[in-house]
Amino acid sequence: MNQGRVVNQEGETTVVDVASNFGEFAVSLADFARATGWQLKPEGLCIDEICVPVREANRLTDGTSIDLVEFARVTKQNIVFDRQRQVAALGERADSRGDSMSSLLAPDFKLPDIHGRQVSFSDFNRRKRLLLAWSSW
Amino acid sequence: MALDADEVAVREWATKEQLTMPVLVDKYHVVADLYGIVNVPAAVWVDENDRIVRPADSTPGSDLFRDFSNVDSEVHHNLLRKWVRSGERDLDDARVREFQVKPSPDVQLARLHRRIAIALRERDQDGDSLASREHLTRAEELAPLDWTIRRGNMPLVGVDPFGDEFFKFVGEWTNAGRPGFKLGTGRVKK
Repeated sequence: MNQGRVVNQEGETTVVDVASNFGEFAVSLADFARATGWQLKPEGLCIDEICVPVREANRLTDGTSIDLVEFARVTKQNIVFDRQRQVAALGERADSRGDSMSSLLAPDFKLPDIHGRQVSFSDFNRRKRLLLAWSSW
Repeated sequence: MALDADEVAVREWATKEQLTMPVLVDKYHVVADLYGIVNVPAAVWVDENDRIVRPADSTPGSDLFRDFSNVDSEVHHNLLRKWVRSGERDLDDARVREFQVKPSPDVQLARLHRRIAIALRERDQDGDSLASREHLTRAEELAPLDWTIRRGNMPLVGVDPFGDEFFKFVGEWTNAGRPGFKLGTGRVKK
């Protein structure tokens, strides 16, 4: 095992153990749940109330770790990884992002403010919100 | 919400004035991904029922760069005042959808290369800095016309975001027909 990092869709970074002998970018079962919010159950890969069946379990897991590349394929997410530097990033595919945008439902997110406090968009729900994107560059 | 990997720079800007709204730091451009934001400054309106009632569009705070942007900043300000005071929108749902900027598959991959670059920059072990630059370069190859990637990368690699590289990028972007936000709030003819 080698120490690596996973950045999930929400932009959260988790330090993980990366398996050296299985998969393209496999992390331990415990790290997998912490990094992605998903869990491997008898009925498949599950998050909240949703489960996705796994047809080729032996490609996904060797019993101690889960290959994030296979996980991304099964759950229709994007993954980019740097095997040498042991860093992977998971993200939404263009088609599903387009669909969620079309729904016009404002997705929630949680980010640190400039004082390091975590703030959620939903902390301000039931109000009109102006979401303003800017930068220092 | 700042689309910025440099929280020190964000804090510097955001504390110049006493601000009453929360100022968030989006190092990994999560909100850009969620709401289709391809440049800054940009605004999205969300109503009391969590509905997007105006899509991301270029919305300068003032006319400081009007010669470059050809945008009259007051147009958005007036629309915003009207919506806040009376609930009156300038776009219905169909128009909101029409003017959303949806990502291409390559832009989505570019965002992930950028995220890896930022994670490497934050970790900063031996070799991470060089690898970070490689992922930033890959992101630019995949999304050569996205401002949050092309221009946003510039300070991360020591390039002046108002210098020669920036104007070279603006040339490429102009030749490509200035792709990006579609709505064009307050755009005026010179």
